Amino acid sequence: MSLVTVVWSMIAAACLTLAAVHLPVWWRNREARATLAFSVAAICTAAIALCELAMLKAATPADYAAAQRWMNLPVALLLIALAGFAHHYLDARLRWLAVTAIVLRLVSLAINFSVGESGNFLHATSLHAVELMGEQVSIASGERNPWRAIGHLAIFLLMLYFIAASVHAWRQGRRAAALLVGGSLTFFMAASLARAFLVSWQGGDAPSTVSLFALGVVAVMGYALSADLLRANQMVIELSEREREAELVADAANLGTWTRDIVRDTVVASRKLRDLFGFAPGERLSGEQLVQRVHVDDRAAFRDRLSQAARRRGEYQSEFRLVLPDGRLRWVAALGQVDFDAHGQPVRSRGACIDITARKEAEQEMLRLRQDIAHVGRVSVMGQISSALAHEINQPLGAILRNAEAAALFMKHESPDLHEINAILEDIRKDDQRASAVIDRIRTLLRHEQVAMTSLNVRGLLADVAMLLRPDAAVRHVGLEFGVPADLPAVRGDQVQIQQVLLNLILNGMDSLEGLNDRPRSVTVTARRDGSKSVEISVSDSGRGIAADHFDRIFEPFYTTKSKGIGMGLSISRGLVEAHGGHLWAENSAIGATFRFTLPVAG
Amino acid sequence: MAEPTVHVVDDDASFLNAMSRLLRASGYLARTYCSAREFLAEPHGDEPGCVLVDLRMPDIGGLDLQAAIAQSRYPLPVLFLTGQADTASTVRAMRGGAEDFLEKTAPKELLLDAVRRAVARSRHELEDRSRREELRARFAAISAREREVLEHVLRGRLNKQIAGDLGIHERTVKVHRKSIMTKLSVRSVAALAQLSQEAGLPVHS
Repeated sequence: MSLVTVVWSMIAAACLTLAAVHLPVWWRNREARATLAFSVAAICTAAIALCELAMLKAATPADYAAAQRWMNLPVALLLIALAGFAHHYLDARLRWLAVTAIVLRLVSLAINFSVGESGNFLHATSLHAVELMGEQVSIASGERNPWRAIGHLAIFLLMLYFIAASVHAWRQGRRAAALLVGGSLTFFMAASLARAFLVSWQGGDAPSTVSLFALGVVAVMGYALSADLLRANQMVIELSEREREAELVADAANLGTWTRDIVRDTVVASRKLRDLFGFAPGERLSGEQLVQRVHVDDRAAFRDRLSQAARRRGEYQSEFRLVLPDGRLRWVAALGQVDFDAHGQPVRSRGACIDITARKEAEQEMLRLRQDIAHVGRVSVMGQISSALAHEINQPLGAILRNAEAAALFMKHESPDLHEINAILEDIRKDDQRASAVIDRIRTLLRHEQVAMTSLNVRGLLADVAMLLRPDAAVRHVGLEFGVPADLPAVRGDQVQIQQVLLNLILNGMDSLEGLNDRPRSVTVTARRDGSKSVEISVSDSGRGIAADHFDRIFEPFYTTKSKGIGMGLSISRGLVEAHGGHLWAENSAIGATFRFTLPVAG
Repeated sequence: MAEPTVHVVDDDASFLNAMSRLLRASGYLARTYCSAREFLAEPHGDEPGCVLVDLRMPDIGGLDLQAAIAQSRYPLPVLFLTGQADTASTVRAMRGGAEDFLEKTAPKELLLDAVRRAVARSRHELEDRSRREELRARFAAISAREREVLEHVLRGRLNKQIAGDLGIHERTVKVHRKSIMTKLSVRSVAALAQLSQEAGLPVHS
């Protein structure tokens, strides 16, 4: 059996097999052009091997030259395929080199089929045998084709191209690819050039072994592609593993996860997420469908967060209600982010959601309880000044009654004094307004409604509070003084709650003066600007100050030094002030104590 | 006797006005004071009347004013008006001798009734007082000697016995007796005895 025949046939077979294996890969993924180039190169190599076999086994010079002529065709195609492979696999630059080389080679091919017996020989005259693998093979000699330089030049240019491609790949960090693929391509070209020089130009004696080298290159390329395939496979397996892990973790944490392809507007959602949102397991989902489940009132805020994240390329967080198909409501916290492509366009968004209904309900319950406590505090404060207030209302009521009785008696006269009657009626009207004002303020303070944050005028607040407290202050012989600068900005807060704090602090101040007669008895309330964003209000009394051993405890709930107190006033007041974003604290002054609190400026 | 004057003391101007109107419409003279100090700055008591006092006032309160009036030379009856009645204040007021204690929103009948009673009482006291003063003036006109004779007469001694007691003639006794009767404007010994009792002299039977 001829070893040469076997070997060269095997080369052809191996190449065809490789091509057969890789062509379907390209067929399924047309983007894998390197694979296509490889398949073409493999097929060409097979053809080259067969032609070369014919050359080696040629009986006559004419046969040899003919075989060589035909071999030049797959060689040209092979070179094109290799250039293509370098272009796609190594992402080579300097394409003009490759293009020029290919053009030259095609020209050379045209010459091959038109001038002389082949591109190599104008006329092959004789054959002589050499030994290769233990047998005799043919080598031809004769008149060389002068145009063969064009083909060789093409190979030279391609070699340069491959060198550039290798360097480029090396620089890109793909060192293995640069060395292996780029290196072997370059070596193939270099070897071909060397052989061409030695044999074609110097008249050396060597059998044609192009296909051996070509096989080497094809093998390297095949290996590179297979390695890639293997890696890709491994990545797919790892990815599946990771996905499964992630799903397990999300499930364990009660997280629903989703990924949205923005370009195609499709959503892949985990089972948990579908449960959360009330979608069936197999239902096809889009981003808009998810958003539609969000409660109408929360939708705008949620969309706003999304667009902000898209603009600022960051994460977003949002809490909102879902309305399920059966009408149930659910509170959900969502965390997500947007991915961008190389051009900065959003391509994908991903996120996770968790059910926080229980937490939200607890929060709301706590808010209700806080408001209840504040209300109780208010009622208690009102209780403290109730008798003074009752007096304040009975004054105008008594006056109205007396006026009306007097008017009735006057009307019994022969000719009643109408001026006097008019004056009486006017006084009745004014007293009615007086009583209404006090009642209104009491009712405002006692109401138990939701907090309403508005812009408040500090002067007006203090005036209301003063009206409620003056009767009590008068009876207790305490002077109330107020000082508010005219240019003080408005503050942001709930009118009822701030008045409650003021009442509490001022009443405390009056209590601290109980039984003290050796000094002027006064409580002073002043307000001033504190920086650009807040206003500070202070309530000072002329009492004995806060004892050192009480100082740390006065804001504690249920702590009181009064015989008739529940001790909630300061604790509630502090809670209310802090809910407004301010602080409440106490200081001892030269005479007496001062309580200060801050409120944010409105607007 | 003069017209009764009702004095109203209250720090609330509107109520003061209204109360004054009602009193005037009911036929009283009304005078208003917006503080206890203002009332105490003037002397009162030589006309019949009463004082309506607001319980809760700044500075000098209603109860303090009541105490001050009770200490004055000719105390007027005090009526308390309040916008808010609590037991402690009521008890204290009544103990201090208040004529009555009323709510400001009480119907006028109650109010005017109390005023009427107070004014009547004040009138009585005034009458008593002027009577006493008149008596004191009359008795002041009696000389010391006549006083001695009067005492013996009141003890029921006969003229002869008086003469013997005092070491004077019976005739002198009779002269003194006549003078006393004239000065005191009485005609009988019984009337003399009654008058003397009214004036506060000891009478033995």
